[in-house]
Amino acid sequence: MEPALWVLAVAIGLPFVAAALTPLLSRVVGERVGYFGAAVATVSFGLVLTQVGTEGTVATPWIPSHDVALRFHVDGLALLFGLLASGIGVLIFAYAATYMHGMPDLGRFYMALLAFMGSILGVAFAADLVVLFLFWELTSVTSFVLIGYHTEDASSRYSARMAMVITVGGGLCLLVGLLVLAVAAELAGVGAFDLAAILENGDAVRAVMEENGLFVPALVLVTVAAAAKSAQVPLYFWLPGAMVAPTPVSAFLHSATMVKVGVYALGRVRPLFHGPEWTALVATLGMLTMAVGAILAVLASDIKELLAYSTASHLGLMIAAFGFQTHYGPEAGAFHLFNHALFKAALFLVAGIVAHEAGSRQIDELGGLRRGLPVTAAITAVATLSMAGLPPFSGFYSKEILFEAAWETAQAGGGLAWLYPATAVFASIFTVLYSLRFLWLFLGEKPGELGTVHRAPFLLVAPPAVLAVGVAFVSLLPDTAIGFIVDDAASAAALEPVEINAKIPTKLSGPVAMSIVTIGAGFAAFPYYSEIRAVLTRIHGATRQVHPVTVYNGVLGATDRTSTAVSAHVHTGQIRTYVWWLLASTCALAVAGYASTATGLPTPTSAETPVAMILVLGVAVLAAIAVSIAESHVTGVLTLGILGFMVAIFYILASGPDLALTQLVVETLLLLIFLLVIEELPAFYGELERGKVVRDAALSVLVGATAFVSVLYAAPAADSGLTETAEKYVSAAVPEGGGTNVVNVILTDFRAFDTLGESIVIVIAALSVLVLLTMRDRGETQ
Amino acid sequence: MTTTIMRTTARIVVPIILVVAISLFLQGHNMPGGGFIGGVLTVAAFTLIYVAYSLDYLEVGVLDREVDYDRQIGEHRTVTAYRRLFKFGLVVTVGSGLAALLFGEPFLSQGFAYFQFPLFGEVKIASAIVFDLGIFCVVVGGLLTIFSVVGAE
Repeated sequence: MEPALWVLAVAIGLPFVAAALTPLLSRVVGERVGYFGAAVATVSFGLVLTQVGTEGTVATPWIPSHDVALRFHVDGLALLFGLLASGIGVLIFAYAATYMHGMPDLGRFYMALLAFMGSILGVAFAADLVVLFLFWELTSVTSFVLIGYHTEDASSRYSARMAMVITVGGGLCLLVGLLVLAVAAELAGVGAFDLAAILENGDAVRAVMEENGLFVPALVLVTVAAAAKSAQVPLYFWLPGAMVAPTPVSAFLHSATMVKVGVYALGRVRPLFHGPEWTALVATLGMLTMAVGAILAVLASDIKELLAYSTASHLGLMIAAFGFQTHYGPEAGAFHLFNHALFKAALFLVAGIVAHEAGSRQIDELGGLRRGLPVTAAITAVATLSMAGLPPFSGFYSKEILFEAAWETAQAGGGLAWLYPATAVFASIFTVLYSLRFLWLFLGEKPGELGTVHRAPFLLVAPPAVLAVGVAFVSLLPDTAIGFIVDDAASAAALEPVEINAKIPTKLSGPVAMSIVTIGAGFAAFPYYSEIRAVLTRIHGATRQVHPVTVYNGVLGATDRTSTAVSAHVHTGQIRTYVWWLLASTCALAVAGYASTATGLPTPTSAETPVAMILVLGVAVLAAIAVSIAESHVTGVLTLGILGFMVAIFYILASGPDLALTQLVVETLLLLIFLLVIEELPAFYGELERGKVVRDAALSVLVGATAFVSVLYAAPAADSGLTETAEKYVSAAVPEGGGTNVVNVILTDFRAFDTLGESIVIVIAALSVLVLLTMRDRGETQ
Repeated sequence: MTTTIMRTTARIVVPIILVVAISLFLQGHNMPGGGFIGGVLTVAAFTLIYVAYSLDYLEVGVLDREVDYDRQIGEHRTVTAYRRLFKFGLVVTVGSGLAALLFGEPFLSQGFAYFQFPLFGEVKIASAIVFDLGIFCVVVGGLLTIFSVVGAE
C-alpha cells in the first residue's frame, strides 16, 4: 500500500506549527503548555501509526529546476524511528509538564522541543538528500538550544557550544558526502537528490562512485557525520557534556532519538555501501565505541554521566551491528535501536526522579532508594536488567543477535576478525557492571547523609512506567514486537531476507558461550566494583593528554588565541585600518581568482581613442595626483570631486548615460555629505608617519594594478561585437521587459532579485547607523 | 553653512532638483534614470535643505509643527518618518515580487500592458514601476535616515 503524503506532511509539519504557537500559548496557559506538546506528539504518533504497513515514496516538488522535492519514503526502518520519536515524545512532554515546574523560559523550552520532534520525524521519513540534510541540521540546532537551556550558566553554554561544534561539524561532512552522492547519482542517470531512487539503483550509483574514486571518500564522510551525531569514538565527548540539559531533554534527544540519527542514517545507506570497506570502518568504529563508552560509564560519578557514556556504548553496539555483513547485523541493529530507546529513556526519566526526590545525582551519595521510591525501583530493575542484556529481558535478545553477527564475521574473516567478538564480550562485561551499579542505587544500603526521599508524584512516575511496561512486554513477547515493526525495519537495511529469532537459547554455541561469559564475569566482578573503578581512574588520569576533549579544548583555545592576536591588528577601531584590510583582502582575492583561472596576462588591444576621452582622462589623472598632495580636507574633497565628475564625463563619452547619471548624482551627494560634517573635521592634515605613508602607497598601487588588470580581463576584444549575455539582454529588453532602457530593465526585471538584495543592504546600513548612534550613550552609562 | 547665498540658492535649486528627480524616476524604464538615480537625487535635494537650514526646518518652517527637542535623535519625528519610508519601500518591493506569484509567475517577474489615456494617447505601463517605486523609497528612506542621524551629531 502506498503511504499518504498529507498524513506524513501533517505529522512532520504539525510540531513546527505548534512550536511557532508555543511562546504565545505559554503566556496564556502558563506551565500547562507541556500538555499541549503532549497532545501534538500524540497526534503525530497517531498519524505515523496509520502508515504502518505501507511502503513507498511520495513527493511534492519543491525546487523543480534542481529536482529537489519534499520526498518522503516510508518503510519499516523509517516507521520504527518515527514511532519511537513521536511515541517517546508524548511521554517526555507529559513528564516535562511536571518536571519543569517553576522553571523559567518554558515557552522557549517547549518550542525547541516541539521543533526538535518535527525535525526528527523529518529525518526519519526524508527521502531527498537536501530535505534530509535540512532536517538533520535542524536537530543539531534544536539540540543546541535545549542543551543551552540554562543560558546564564557558563557550563551550560560551554556544553551547548561543544555539541554544536561537533554535530554541525559532522553535518558539514554529511553535506559534502551527500553532494558526492548526488553527483554520482546524476552521472548514473538517477535523479540527483532522490535518496529513494539512489538506494533502489544502488548498484549503478555505486559503480559510478567506484569508477571515479569517490566511493571511499563518500563512505568516510557519511560515517564521520554519523559518528559525530551518534557520539562515536573519538567524537563522543559532547554527549556527557550535553547532560547539563534538563532531564526530559537528555531522555528524549540524547538517548532515544537525536543521537540515533547517525545510527539510523548508517542503517539507511547500508545497502548502498555494504562491503569489506564498510565493515572495516563502521563495525570497527562501533565496537571501539562500545568498549570505550562502557569503560567510561563504569568510571562515571554522576548518574546522568553514567547513562550518557552507556548511551554512547550502546550506540556503538548498533553501529557495529549495521557494520557487519551478515544478515544478523541489521537484525541486531534495528532490534537494539528499538530496545535501547525504551529502556534508556526510562532510565533517564528515573535519573530525573532520583535527582528530584533525593536531591543528588552523585552515585556515591545514593543508595537504598527502594524504600522511598518503590515503583521507581521496579521500573529501574526491568530497565537495567534489559540494559545489561540478561535473559529473559529484551536487551538480551538483541545483544545475542549481535554476538551471532560478530561470531559469524569472525568465522568468515578469521585472524584479526576474532577481535570483534572479543571486544563485544569485553564491552558487555562492563555493561553488566555499570547496569548493576545503577540498580544498586535502589538495592544497596542507604548512606547516612542522604535525607528522607519523598515519594515521586504520579505524573513523574507514569511515563517511565509506560516505557518499563513496554520493555517488559518486548521481553515476554518478543515475537509480537518483531512481527509488528522490527522485522520490516531490519529488512530495510538488509540485502538478504531477515528472520529475527528471539528465543532463550537451549543449545550451547559460540554466541551463547559469549553471553554466558559476559554475564558470569559481570556478576563475578561486581563485588570488586570500587577496586576496578580505582584502577580505571588511575589509567584515565594518566592518559589525560590524549583525551579527545583535551584535544578539542586545545584546538578551540588555539583558535581563540589566534583570532585575538589577529583582531588586535585588524580590529583597531580606526576606519583607515578597516579600509586598509578591506582593500588589501579584496585585491588579494581578486588576484588569486585571476591567477587560478586565467591562462595568461591579457594584452591591451589598441583601438582608436577619441581626443575628448584622452583629455577627460588626463584631467582625471591630474585630479588624482592633486588629491594625494592636497593640504587640507577642503582641497582634497574638491579635487576628488573633479576626479569623480571626469569619470562621469568619460561614461557619457563611452555611451553609458545611466552610469554617468548615477556617478554624477552620487558625486554630488558626497560633496553635500562632506558639507554636513566639515565643521567637525580638523582644517589641515596632521604630520604623516613615514612607515604609514609607504604602506598606504603600496596598497594604493596594488589596488590600482588590480583594477587595471580587472579592466583588461573584462574588456572585450577590439573587433568583437556584443557578448552573448549582452546580446540576450538587449534583444529581450523590449519584448520581455517592456522598456527601452536596457540597464533599467535588467535592474527591475531580469535581475530584480539582485536589486532587492541591494535595497536590503541599504536598509541594513541605515539601521546599523541608527542603532550605533542611538545606542552609543547607553553603552557608556552601563 | 547657513549663509544667505546658500539659503537663496537652495530655495531656487531644491524644487528643480525634485522635479528632475521625479521625472528621472518616471522615465527610467525607457530612458536614463530609474528608482535608484531618482532616489539619490531626491536625497541630494533634502540634504541641501539640511545643510542650508537645519533638520527641523521641514517640521517647523514648512509643516508648521512643534518639535520636541528633548527626544533622542532615533525617535525624532523626521527620522521615524524616514524609517517608515524605507520599511514601506521594502514592503512594496517584496510585495511587487509576491504579486507575480498570484499570476502563477516566478517571484519578481514583471509584466507590462498598454493603456489608453485622454490627452496622452496610448501609454505603456510596466509593472516594474512598482518595484522601482519600492527601490526609490528604500533609497530615500535609508540614506536620509543615515544623513539626518549623522548630521544631527
